[in-house]
Amino acid sequence: MKAIQAALWMEVLKVRRTTIFPISMFFFVFMGIVMGLLMFVSQHPEIASRSATLSVKTSFLGEFSWAAYNDLLIQIILTVGVIGFGIITSWDFGREFSDRVVKDLLALPVPRFTIIFSKLIILFFWSMILSVIVLVAAILTGLAVRIPGWTAVDWFPFLWNYIVCTVLNALLITPVAFVASAGRGYLLPISFIILIMILTQLLFVGLPGAAFWFPWALPALFSGVAGEAIHQPGFISYLIYGLTVLAGLFGTIAWWQFADHK
Amino acid sequence: MFKMTHVIHTENLTKHYGNVHAAEDVTLHIKKAEIYGFLGLNGAGKTTTIRMLLGMIRPTMGTAFLFGQKVGPGNLDLWNQVGHLVETPYSYPELTVLENLEIYYRLRLLKDPGLLADVVEKLHLGQYRNTKAKHLSLGNAQRLGIAKAMIHHPGLLILDEPANGLDPAGIVEIRELLSDLAGNHGVSVFISSHILGEISRFATRIGIIHEGHMIYESDIDRLDQSRRRSLHVETLDNEQAHEILSSAGYSADFLSDGSLEVSGEAAINHPEKISALLASQRLAPKKILVEEEDLEHFFLRLIQTSKPSS
Repeated sequence: MKAIQAALWMEVLKVRRTTIFPISMFFFVFMGIVMGLLMFVSQHPEIASRSATLSVKTSFLGEFSWAAYNDLLIQIILTVGVIGFGIITSWDFGREFSDRVVKDLLALPVPRFTIIFSKLIILFFWSMILSVIVLVAAILTGLAVRIPGWTAVDWFPFLWNYIVCTVLNALLITPVAFVASAGRGYLLPISFIILIMILTQLLFVGLPGAAFWFPWALPALFSGVAGEAIHQPGFISYLIYGLTVLAGLFGTIAWWQFADHK
Repeated sequence: MFKMTHVIHTENLTKHYGNVHAAEDVTLHIKKAEIYGFLGLNGAGKTTTIRMLLGMIRPTMGTAFLFGQKVGPGNLDLWNQVGHLVETPYSYPELTVLENLEIYYRLRLLKDPGLLADVVEKLHLGQYRNTKAKHLSLGNAQRLGIAKAMIHHPGLLILDEPANGLDPAGIVEIRELLSDLAGNHGVSVFISSHILGEISRFATRIGIIHEGHMIYESDIDRLDQSRRRSLHVETLDNEQAHEILSSAGYSADFLSDGSLEVSGEAAINHPEKISALLASQRLAPKKILVEEEDLEHFFLRLIQTSKPSS
């Protein structure tokens, strides 16, 4: 217990002192505000018409209501979540190798898996904080631009959906942690995240049936934002998802424990 | 039983990376309070051996024991008896000196906050305690690395080229610190370097590794016996002196400056006989002295003449 406390203290200190922590918060606040503003612009064609790009971006937003806005927020946490949570994980694990400090964590009375657990716990909470930040920023912006239909929205199912999607995405950081450890830096895990994003998009567009089997598609399937044409996740989807999370976790532990740290 | 008497004991420690034999049958025995200088050129296998001692690399063959316990994933308590510095000492750049030290204070589950102040004072890091590690000079970063290795008062220090980046005063300081730890506190020190001259000043035993093989091991006080000695002689006519010495059965060669180098124990131990011999032939030496091979030449000669059986 003292070992995990010590490791958690270390991880909190490192996160507090790094610039990526405030940058990630700022980015998620920014994303929340941008979503609200895009919603506002979509209802004011005179603003959107000044920019072709803006016009295209606002055209998919649908009706000007909290119900449509909340769907948009789910989509945002599904995509920005994968990228954001993945990047902070790439940083947290990759920096130990890039900064060449990992060797000082290997011959200690604290088990190596304790350090990995503490990192994952901190990253999970960091991800939760980011998801709350983007949600709060988006809701406040939505209120500021006077999106109608606040009372017509069933908030509990929305929040439940949002939280589950966030948690499902946040647990998928374990494979990223493994790739960052095995790749000994940032480059490989960030490439991995981009690849996952592209694959997820391709599956939903080209092979919607295959999304059922793809663990990174599970949060979107669960949320229902993919549309009724796409299957709901089944037992196999959850099983594959769970195995992927566990494979990432145990793969990372095995790598730290048994790989040669040259 | 044998290995219990040694702080470090390895049995045929071997590491292969494909066709690269980074370490081959490295067998070491380091006793309590011994300062063991582990020498070798860059890429000789020093760091690979050290990483195997610290459980960072799994040996292809062989075993390492520290304090009689096998190095492996399960022996966690072992690491509180060991302090280490492996290659260039990197620290978390955005954290201060004190914060970096506190990380290892906590991860070593230490309970005496005085240890932090002690190690800061011992390594003269007081004025940098609130300086971020990224702003430290190489020498002070090295001190921080050594402080991290020593914070818990280990019985064994494994240091990989700790003098790197230190100025001459810093090198002397670290040398005195390590000598004090070994001499007065019973700490064993395993220290790697590629500079024999520096290590021989305070090591009690040295081992030389080359191309992954141990090629030499000796107590430091027996090192002199291994170094080549010769007698240098200069006369008014070195050609004639060469003839005189050769006919008297001495082995003499010309040096690049034209003077003579006479080898063999008979000449080295009795230069007065050489002097008398030449004087009797009216060729008294202008200069006669016993030259002892310096440590760097000795080190290089050993490496050049070694033929590892790979």
